[in-house]
Amino acid sequence: MEALQTLTWSDTWYLSPELVLSGFAIALALLDLFLPKQVNRNVIGWLTLAGLICAGVCVVLLLLSLGDGTEVNSAEPFHSLLGGSYRIDNFGNLLKLVFLGSAGFIVFSSLGTVKDEDVPIKGEMYYLVLPATLGAMVMSSSGDLLTLFVGLELLSITSYILVAVRKNNRISSEAAFKYVVTGGAASAFILYGMSFLYGITGSTNIALIYDGLNSAIENSEALLYISFFLMIAGFAVKLALAPFHAWASDVYQGAPTPVTSFLAVVAKGAAFAMLYRIFMGTAFFAIGSTGFIQKDIFLGLAVLAAAAMIVGTAGALRQRNVKRLLALSGVANAGILLTPLALSLTQFHTSMFSEFIYYFIAYAFMNIGVFSVLTIVSRDSGNETLSGFAGLYHRAPWTAAAAVVLLCSLAGLPVTGGFFGKLFILFGTIQTHTYWLGAIMLATTVVSYAVYFTLIRQMFMRSGELDTGLKMTFPAGITIWICTIATLALGFFPVPILNWINDVFSIQFDFLVFRG
Amino acid sequence: MSTFFTENAWLVPVLPFAAFVVLTAMGKGLKQSGAWVATIASFVSLVLSLCLASERLSGNAADYSRQYDWIHIGNMKLSAGYEVTNLSTLMLVVVTLVAFLVNLYSLGYMKKDERITTFFSYVALFTGSMLGLVLSDNLLTFYIFWELVGVCSFLLVGFWFQKPEAKAAAKKAFIVTRIGDLGLLIAILLLFWYMPGHALDFTALHNVFHTQSGVITTSITTLIALLIFLGAVGKSGQFPLHVWLPDAMEGPTPISALIHAATMVAAGVFLVVRTFDIFEASQIAMNTVAIIGAFTAIFAAMIGLAQNDIKRVLAYSTISQLGYMMLALGVGSVTGAMFHLFTHAFFKALLFLGAGSVIHSVHTQDIREMGGLGGKMKLTAWTFGIGALALSGIPPFSGFWSKDAILSVAMDKQPILFIVGLIAAFFTALYMARLFFLVFTGKPRENQHAHESPSVMTIPLVVLAVLAVVAGFVETPFNGWLGNWLWGEQSEHNVNGLVMILSAAVALLGLYIGWLTYVKGTIRRDAISSRMPGLLKLLENKFYIDELYRALFVKPLQSLGKALELFDEYVVDGIVRASGYSVSAIGKLNSRLQNGQVQTYALTALIGIVILIVAIAGRRFW
Repeated sequence: MEALQTLTWSDTWYLSPELVLSGFAIALALLDLFLPKQVNRNVIGWLTLAGLICAGVCVVLLLLSLGDGTEVNSAEPFHSLLGGSYRIDNFGNLLKLVFLGSAGFIVFSSLGTVKDEDVPIKGEMYYLVLPATLGAMVMSSSGDLLTLFVGLELLSITSYILVAVRKNNRISSEAAFKYVVTGGAASAFILYGMSFLYGITGSTNIALIYDGLNSAIENSEALLYISFFLMIAGFAVKLALAPFHAWASDVYQGAPTPVTSFLAVVAKGAAFAMLYRIFMGTAFFAIGSTGFIQKDIFLGLAVLAAAAMIVGTAGALRQRNVKRLLALSGVANAGILLTPLALSLTQFHTSMFSEFIYYFIAYAFMNIGVFSVLTIVSRDSGNETLSGFAGLYHRAPWTAAAAVVLLCSLAGLPVTGGFFGKLFILFGTIQTHTYWLGAIMLATTVVSYAVYFTLIRQMFMRSGELDTGLKMTFPAGITIWICTIATLALGFFPVPILNWINDVFSIQFDFLVFRG
Repeated sequence: MSTFFTENAWLVPVLPFAAFVVLTAMGKGLKQSGAWVATIASFVSLVLSLCLASERLSGNAADYSRQYDWIHIGNMKLSAGYEVTNLSTLMLVVVTLVAFLVNLYSLGYMKKDERITTFFSYVALFTGSMLGLVLSDNLLTFYIFWELVGVCSFLLVGFWFQKPEAKAAAKKAFIVTRIGDLGLLIAILLLFWYMPGHALDFTALHNVFHTQSGVITTSITTLIALLIFLGAVGKSGQFPLHVWLPDAMEGPTPISALIHAATMVAAGVFLVVRTFDIFEASQIAMNTVAIIGAFTAIFAAMIGLAQNDIKRVLAYSTISQLGYMMLALGVGSVTGAMFHLFTHAFFKALLFLGAGSVIHSVHTQDIREMGGLGGKMKLTAWTFGIGALALSGIPPFSGFWSKDAILSVAMDKQPILFIVGLIAAFFTALYMARLFFLVFTGKPRENQHAHESPSVMTIPLVVLAVLAVVAGFVETPFNGWLGNWLWGEQSEHNVNGLVMILSAAVALLGLYIGWLTYVKGTIRRDAISSRMPGLLKLLENKFYIDELYRALFVKPLQSLGKALELFDEYVVDGIVRASGYSVSAIGKLNSRLQNGQVQTYALTALIGIVILIVAIAGRRFW
């Protein structure tokens, strides 16, 4: 093992997105303290947005500076920092872009939308998004179990606070408490699983774990099983996969809606990033003489994916509260998002990551869009039940039209991003001959039409109590429309987007960490 | 040479689509101005197509196509794209011109209708779909637009859905054309299966079936060609799927003009022209097309003789004229078919709009209740007369030249079909004479207060009348300009004096007999029907085709439907209810777990992971 590498000045460029975010977070925390009470905290919101955009620009520049490992482009395909514990590669960069973009849209749409009575500490709600996003970025960019865990905790602990910002609301406090307990349990599961892996291989660095795995398999097969399954259980809680999902409905309901969509998109995506990092670096190569372990671990993931799709969809059918409904739809979608990774149980299918990231981008847009609609509607009607949507078409036809597009995408109807995302993942199941998983995905998709069309029916066919126009705020309106247009664009131009992902991402340099 | 309009030809269909979207979105807010939005959009696309045409008229304009890969699935790809050739340019001009005139005309005709905005949005969608179909560079997008055209015709034929006849007619049009569409769909699937590289674009079809024939066996080629033809038969109202077209007269009259001249029925002929290489590779298919075409031509012309509804006469005449186009294709004259399509578009649109003007004025469609309208509606009478002469094939009107082009090729290739066509031409002139004389000459009715239509309605008539006169000169036996421009090759068009004289003579004879019968009275009107009452009854009832279909298909299918309904109710619904119940049972279980107690959540998670480990990992250590 090489000597511990220290951070040099030249490395700060590679860490610029992270550094920008931490700088903004500290500055804004201080600013919030010193700013007089009368000053509207939207200032903090705008500055948070600025910080996210700066970090996003840095990520784009890094993305462009990395080569693809071919002779044509001689720039290095990835950069390793601090003895391999931090990696700047395109897997991380792509995900960081999605995280920063999602966080940016969420902050933007909540400007002027969140009410002071509801969230008395608005300043904190805005600037805490920064460390949370920073945690997510660390999770997608680390090559060491410890760094990954630090990122996870940074994200989790900030999220606990974010859920609790509706200080005067009992449900919100209860939700935050539940989130602390279950989230803490999940972290414990993950850490316990990691400790076994460290014990067996003698390292926390993923590349070194890979080296040590082969000899470990022969001696401590049972321990490896326990290690990986404990991690799976922990991640299942974080991803809200059934039957580890029960916290999600309560927490989503209690949190302010922008935070809910942050949890649904960024927190979930970060957990996926970490799962990919660990499992594609270690578990996938736990083959040994029989190859059982590798198959079993990915089978476990596939079973969880299937369970999440079934339970999420069936549960959503019975929900009257839109936030809880969307929480359960998020459970089902987590199952779908997990499918590409889980398919590795049979063979390596190279399009795995592009299938995942494509659907994840579509998922991010449609969720942020739907949650923004929900924020506006519930702000107007005063409740978050389905009946708040009644007659929306007559009050705000354009918003209703946008919502229909977004819901169709969630349901997976053509021509939307959700349709192609699901289609590509479905092709993956066919390619790898995992027909049972594909069949479950199809069946739950069909059932999910009933879920989303309940909402659409409310908007178009029921008459609501209110007949005044919907009070739309400017940032939320813009966000809804960008999300709608992006959802349609993903449906009309799937190939260029997919090609671009494939161009940027390479399995050799972005997954196979030990090669570094 | 500028190629701006060629490269941006996609704008032509996009404009009507945009108008459709705007009208649908703004809807009721627009009121009358919505109609203007659609009319202006169609005018701009007309101007664009005219610019495109003038660009391509100057010298040898190269074909232009642009493709965009839509989805890749494995090594298969679906692409969408457009292709600008002289053929598609010609179609664009015809479609946009007729569509614009119909829009203009409808401003007057539909003025008092409450749903005028809806009407114009449908018309815009209809036009846009047809234009998209014309520009498609592959069969898949062609098929998508083809179906869109079908949907629009359904919407428009049933536009006055308060009338039960209109509702029935819309359903009939939809179902009957679906039979043809199914054929086309199967043909496309077969092509997809057999074509090298699963290519569906027209260039590849041309390469496979024309340049390197033999890649696909003759029997498969024949099958594919016949299935494609089935699609065309449905859309173009050829025998035996012609039954929907006369019923479609229940729609507003401007729509009849649009359907019969430029959009719906032309799509069928255009399909065969586009896939003509496949037909040429199979003699059986060619003969089928020719025979069906010729038979339809004479069959529909005979029915047209005995109809009393002004629009129905015209409808049968459309069927008959489309038969001519199919006949032309069957005997190998693509130029003839396109030429007739081109001239027919103008005079048929003219006749329908003229009929609409008459109906607008006297509020009836029965020609027995009309008469002497010529005096009060001079402009309508004159333009209608020009249209009638063009349709009858009187020189030098456009219909004469295009019909002559078809008949002279038929004479060379299949003399029997030539004679059939000639007889049909006689009937054509006869029923047009009957129609014209009964409506416009004779004594005016006293209780009718006929009046000339407003100028938004008469201007289109005049424009079309001019075109009906001059459009024929683009391709005469002495000057094969159209064929040359379309295909870039000198057509072997020889002056066949005999055909010209014969076709002009039978047309004149038809008109003369009509004049003797309905004006002069030399021949008694019931001269034939009194001697052969059976024949008249047969014709009036359209050879009992509808009744035959009812007995053969509709009734048995209805009984089958009843049986299936029972099956559906008890077996299918049972399964659906059972699966619905099981899903909601899972949901219930989920809500029982979700009782708000975080201890329960943790316990569930723990049980979950234990089960997972025991079930998956445990079996290895058992």
